[in-house]
Amino acid sequence: MRKVLFLFAIIALSSACEEISPVITPVMEVESICDDPAPITDQQRQVLVEEFTGVRCVNCPAGSAALEELIGQHGDQLVAVSIHAGSFAPPYPESFDTLRTAKGEEILSFVGEPLGYPTAVVNRKKFPGGFNLQLPRNGWPGAIEQELQEDPRVLIDIKNNYDEATRELETCVTLQMMDDLSAEESVFLTVMLLENNVVDLQLTPESSEPDPNYVHKHVFRDVLTSAAGNLIQDAVTAGSFVQQSFAITLKEKYKADDCSIIAFVHLGGDTKVVLQAEKESW
Amino acid sequence: MNLLQTLRKILAASALLIFGINCGFGQNDGGTLSGNLQANGNFFIRDSLIGAANTPQYDRQLYGADAWLNLSYNNWGFDFGLRFDLFNNSNLLNPTGSFTGEGIGRWYIHKKVDKFDISVGYLYDQIGSGIIFRAFEQRPLLIDNALYGARLAYDLGENWQIKAFTGRQKQQFDIYEPVIKGGAIDGYLSFGEEGRFWAIAPGLGVVNRTLDDASMNSIVATVNTYTKEDAFVPRYNTYAFSAYNTLSAGPWTWYVEAAYKTEDNLSDPFGEFVLSDSSLVVGDKLYKAPGTVFYSSLSYAKSGLGISVEGKRTENFDFRVRPQEQLNRGLVNFLPPMARVNTYRMTARYNAATQFLGEMAVQADIRYNYKRKFSVNANFSNITDLDNNLLYRELYTEFTYKYKRTWQFLAGMQIQRYNQEVFEFKPDAPIVETVTPYFDILYKISRRKSIRFEGQYMIAGKDDKGEGHDYGSWLFGLVEFSVAPSWTFTVSDMFNIDPGKASPIDDSGEKAALHYPRFDVFYTHGPNRFSLSYIKQVEGVVCTGGICRLEPAFSGVRFTVNSNF
Repeated sequence: MRKVLFLFAIIALSSACEEISPVITPVMEVESICDDPAPITDQQRQVLVEEFTGVRCVNCPAGSAALEELIGQHGDQLVAVSIHAGSFAPPYPESFDTLRTAKGEEILSFVGEPLGYPTAVVNRKKFPGGFNLQLPRNGWPGAIEQELQEDPRVLIDIKNNYDEATRELETCVTLQMMDDLSAEESVFLTVMLLENNVVDLQLTPESSEPDPNYVHKHVFRDVLTSAAGNLIQDAVTAGSFVQQSFAITLKEKYKADDCSIIAFVHLGGDTKVVLQAEKESW
Repeated sequence: MNLLQTLRKILAASALLIFGINCGFGQNDGGTLSGNLQANGNFFIRDSLIGAANTPQYDRQLYGADAWLNLSYNNWGFDFGLRFDLFNNSNLLNPTGSFTGEGIGRWYIHKKVDKFDISVGYLYDQIGSGIIFRAFEQRPLLIDNALYGARLAYDLGENWQIKAFTGRQKQQFDIYEPVIKGGAIDGYLSFGEEGRFWAIAPGLGVVNRTLDDASMNSIVATVNTYTKEDAFVPRYNTYAFSAYNTLSAGPWTWYVEAAYKTEDNLSDPFGEFVLSDSSLVVGDKLYKAPGTVFYSSLSYAKSGLGISVEGKRTENFDFRVRPQEQLNRGLVNFLPPMARVNTYRMTARYNAATQFLGEMAVQADIRYNYKRKFSVNANFSNITDLDNNLLYRELYTEFTYKYKRTWQFLAGMQIQRYNQEVFEFKPDAPIVETVTPYFDILYKISRRKSIRFEGQYMIAGKDDKGEGHDYGSWLFGLVEFSVAPSWTFTVSDMFNIDPGKASPIDDSGEKAALHYPRFDVFYTHGPNRFSLSYIKQVEGVVCTGGICRLEPAFSGVRFTVNSNF
């Protein structure tokens, strides 16, 4: 009997202990490109919707279509990003590009895996009755509606400076506190790079073969902060300004004209709630 | 909520105290304390080729565990129950995710005062066959639909009972907001005399579910995005009624149940949307409709012969705490499945998931046993949607022959048609056709030792391009050696002998004919049972309507313990 157990232990141990480690991105010292902060005007509450999707997810195009309808309805007040991660995200052998990223997977782990797809996280908030932060498609409009009712506690301004020759992008994110956030346990800033209108394979209900002409909207490409956000260490009392600069070189495959930067401020600790989001292209 | 949590803690603490007192003072006061433990430990070994990868467990967590410790104590005419639930990096709740949580999963107090019966806490119960209400637990799928509330019952005479309950459904260590309440009256009447005896057990039930404001606001916001034609005014209150009866006369038993549900907000995974640019999209869509279920089963059993015939028609009978709930979450009721529950590895590969929104199903089963030496079983089921499109069809036969107490031969054949497009939402997937012959031979070597061989060959149909349906054809073999009363060892392999369309592709770009081996050791000692297994199990996408859920392949080591005390 012992031999059998021993055999099991050998099998278990020999193939085990292999883990996929997190990605460490030390904060790069970027030279500030920010001008002196000026009060941000004309900004309403803006809600972040993180759609999790995959090229092998047959129902996701219907979810993406619903998200586009919501963007049509709410305009700039809805900041949407489509993150290719999770069980349906591995690319097809014929895919032109892989839309799935290690950082996207990290974000999915950070907000929690859904029960099914299509799925989205609205302002990283857990809504009553929800299983976790993830909401099925018919939960999105209600969550967005509810989040739009609140006043923004922070205003965000993004200034992009893109050099076509070097493909270098410099970004200045300015935050203006509208409320005293110093009582909060911690406040984070996340900055992402998106690319719109990426044509690549996607499984759709029309056929058992993926559609090679599918247009993927607001695809998550990279994160300029760490995946879970950068901790804001400056004062966050009402009326104060916080500025951070970032720099990234766009990969050749990205169409610079279709790229944009989104930035959002969120809390740490028990809640991961997003306070305000902003999007800016150049 | 805080008050509720505090109350919960106090009650849990008092229950513990009661157990404590009893354990301390022994059994002198006549009370009994009993319980059971079930625990599973998983060790995940990444295997990207078979798809055992890309979940938190395979990528980084490596270990997962689930455990339930159930205690019940009876004394002074009271029943107390307490259950501790534990999930550590568990893949039960969400097979592609990880769930961690632990705490009091259940407690209850029950007392019968003369004809009056009182229960409070987390309750499991049902009305009739469960078509309008069933609060139940199914651990392998982590369904725990206990009603957290109160139930009162009263005996109206010897054979009649009336009950009423109210509460909210459990959601892991939380509770859903919507309130569920209902009641039923059940009776039993017997007629005739010795030899010509017959009886009826009639019943009537009603259940009401009231949506909470937050759920309603979310529905309203969703419906507001619809076009005028698709928009509807959602309902806070939905009522479900059911009338049922069991008639037994000699060898005959006839059960019949009819249920009606008033207008409810439902979610159709195949709903069609017209978008603002007038393009059409198919997906999850809310609508409002009343629902019906008719269910009947007739069975005959006499001297070795058993026959049963069942039929069920379902229309718009998805009954959930809130329409936003997906898959097997938040179910208020339970619709009886209408296909044979198969146990052999290959015959159980394709299962017909109950369709809540529309299904017409019939099933017939016949069994004959001759002198305990020879028996035969045949089962046929046919399930279609309400437009008569085939969803599932199965013909199952089984023959058993026992020879001189030392040999038992079992063999048979299963023929299936399985609508993968509907059950798993795989676009354009042809209806999976399978033919599976199988055998099972048991030989008793001695009084204590026995050996068993199992073999199954699933032959899958081919599509227009000549590719096998789904994963194609499979060969399965198993050898089991038992030394009574303690040890059982099994070795099995499932081999994808003729890979089909969905079979994984290896590095050479070819469909891989993969092996999925499994080794188990079971050890039973009195009321304790342990098992240790090394498993490689094929993956499968499991979808309910438009919501897909990947049940990833399993690769790893599993340890389980079951104990009763």
